[in-house]
Amino acid sequence: MVRPYLDCNSHALRPYLAAVRSTLTAALTLENFASQVVERHNKPEVEAQSSREVLLNPLVISRNENERVLIEPSVNSVRLSIKIKQADEIERALCAKFMRFMMVRAENFIVLRRKPVPGYDISFLITNSHTETMLKHKIVDFIIQFMEDVDREISEMKLSLNARARVVAETYLTVFG
Amino acid sequence: MERYWEQSIFKYLRAEPEDHYFLLTEPPLNPPENRESTAEIFFESFNIPGLYIAVQAVLALAASWTSGKVTERTLTGTVIDSGDGVTHVIPVAEGYVIGSAIKHIPIAGRDITQFVLNLLRERGEMVNVPPEDHLRVAGKVKENYSYVCQDIVKEFRKYDVEPYKYFQRFEAEHSVTGRQYGIDVGYERFLAPEIFFNPEIYQSDFLTPLPEVVDEVIRQSPIDVRRGLYNNIVLSGGSTMFDHFGQRLKRDIKQIVDRRIQASETASGSAMRSSGLDVNVISHKRQRYAVWFGGSLLASLPDFYGACHTKAAYEEVGPSICRRYQIFGSAT
Amino acid sequence: MILLESHNTIIQTVLAEKFSKPSSLDEHFVDYDGVRFRLSTPERKTLLRLSMNIRCWDQLAQYGAQQILEREYGTYLLPEAEPEYSVTLEFDTEKVPAEGAARDALIKSAALLKRIALGAPFELAFKNALALESGGSPPNATELMQIHYRDEEAIFVQAASDRVTVVFSTVFREEADRIFGKVFLQEFVDARRQPSIQTAPQVLFTAKEPPLEIRSAAGLKNSDDIGYVTFVIFPRHYNKPDVQNSTISHIQLFRSYLHYHIKCSKAYMRSRMRHRVAEFQKVLNRAKTEVATTERKTASGRTLVTR
Repeated sequence: MVRPYLDCNSHALRPYLAAVRSTLTAALTLENFASQVVERHNKPEVEAQSSREVLLNPLVISRNENERVLIEPSVNSVRLSIKIKQADEIERALCAKFMRFMMVRAENFIVLRRKPVPGYDISFLITNSHTETMLKHKIVDFIIQFMEDVDREISEMKLSLNARARVVAETYLTVFG
Repeated sequence: MERYWEQSIFKYLRAEPEDHYFLLTEPPLNPPENRESTAEIFFESFNIPGLYIAVQAVLALAASWTSGKVTERTLTGTVIDSGDGVTHVIPVAEGYVIGSAIKHIPIAGRDITQFVLNLLRERGEMVNVPPEDHLRVAGKVKENYSYVCQDIVKEFRKYDVEPYKYFQRFEAEHSVTGRQYGIDVGYERFLAPEIFFNPEIYQSDFLTPLPEVVDEVIRQSPIDVRRGLYNNIVLSGGSTMFDHFGQRLKRDIKQIVDRRIQASETASGSAMRSSGLDVNVISHKRQRYAVWFGGSLLASLPDFYGACHTKAAYEEVGPSICRRYQIFGSAT
Repeated sequence: MILLESHNTIIQTVLAEKFSKPSSLDEHFVDYDGVRFRLSTPERKTLLRLSMNIRCWDQLAQYGAQQILEREYGTYLLPEAEPEYSVTLEFDTEKVPAEGAARDALIKSAALLKRIALGAPFELAFKNALALESGGSPPNATELMQIHYRDEEAIFVQAASDRVTVVFSTVFREEADRIFGKVFLQEFVDARRQPSIQTAPQVLFTAKEPPLEIRSAAGLKNSDDIGYVTFVIFPRHYNKPDVQNSTISHIQLFRSYLHYHIKCSKAYMRSRMRHRVAEFQKVLNRAKTEVATTERKTASGRTLVTR
């Protein structure tokens, strides 16, 4: 199922998002898999890294040097990390704030990881229990929608910050006039 | 909400939030999520160095320390907080609110004003008052002339025997035209606050008198703090400002308690004697702004800074730090 | 809503109330830049005292603040300030002007106490600049005046024959604040291109590096989080007394103004993010399936309840 995209800006993004969508959908073939090392443990293997044979090859989908997605599949969990486009210092600060804002609410976003994988801005961890309780294609939809909106939101915030700064500066200086 | 805070901090308090610790208040039973998002805004947007979120009832208790009758500074007591819309009865033990025992009474300032207005209308006093001023006049009468009597029947008789001595004249000016008018204030003076003690004279929905509610609240609290709760009943909010309100409340609660003790003594075959129970209602000058005053009192204590959540701690733990209570004087 | 006022609202309301209805009080409150106020009635109800503690009082006094306060407040100013405070004003509510314009003016000027005290070095600089312009050479006219009005931040004022330079050093405690501050300050620099505000003072902004004018000043901190904002104020901003007055009150509040708006935009960002996160949450919730809840019963017929 392909969701209709929201704005024309995402047109250029489309192949990138399509690649992420199909890779992620393919990677989300998870099963309940108990630990091979410790008895009665059942942990996301991609986090535990306890045995090589249950991990699959991680792969990076990269749009350019600033935007890329790392997908690390394993037998019972998938870890997806996103590096969000940050053109300058302002976007970097806004992005850091936004991601922090999301991650302190990780409890509500069941699939969100509390800390990003080093080198990325935000990470999601999807385990077999998530795919069992939630619709798989809807989870994928969520990730794609997130990637789409987060770029737009950050650039909008930057614009509004600039606009506000201009109004503030002009108001202040007009008084002198 | 952020805008409201921005305006109050920068326009009215004129303080740079980076330089100051903040004390905020919350109603009892405030969901912790609210507290967390508040902390987030204050620490991340305003960069404040420290924050303390206090429960209003606890601050009202702290405010009562200024009263001459209070000898030791305890944070155990029952708070009766009556504002314009609703009245709460909140038991507090050692700074912790006993959430399960809190009770609300749907009688407060607004109802008293309405009741005064009804009485004045019934007596035909309001005919020369312009209709748009009715509520305002009733409010003024409530604030300036009302008091709590000890016995309604006696009070009625007193008024009937010497009306000139007790009836008072209220003069006012029309807010637009400036025309003078006046009304005689009579029985309203003592009947107005009476609706706390005899709610049936005003409406028929809620019939439990305030003293009984207080008694009930205390009896629902853990047994080991009940003595402290009876001993320290604190008033807060504008609708508790009537003269003699505290005395009447104390008398009524005492009666209820004594009757119960007596009943249990008789039931036990009079073999045991109770040592009795002290009931104390504390009223003080700062009642109207008790919560604010208690806040300023606590904030000026030297150990206030120690009780605050600091920015460093916030960065370490995150917003959930505010789920942890910190009580003054307790080990942290 | 956008601009900050230079008077203190608390002083204004409390004085207005107490002048018409005296009662005893003892209030402590603050203003920007760590200024502390105390309003009290130490002896009797009708004798109101307003004391102010300002961090850089020694420096201000050096630049003639005392004289300016005397000029503004005359007999209301006490020769000796209360202990722990820099300035004390005393009002006898029985002797203040009757209700009306005169009283309002007095209240207003009391509310401007901080503004007037902090205005001293600016006034001195403007005076010197005007003197220099007309060919005179008052002593120490081009001296660099430093006012350390906050712990780590200072204002520098220097007069020259054709302009007065005011430099603010300001510290951003947080990374995000620093970046936001930069955006704002850049706009201050750019805003002058607008035709309507060409007459405004020229604004320059440097991060880290102190500007040339104040290189000589001792004790400059060199770190990443500090920024310097230079205002070049031209004669047209100070050659008329009323314009000069508004320039002073306006420029003093620059730092508070800047930080106020940084805070406001952060708060605004936060409300945006909250909205966006709520949207994301909705999308994710769509993924959740209805977990079929079948009633489980024990053998005796009681229902099992999961807690």
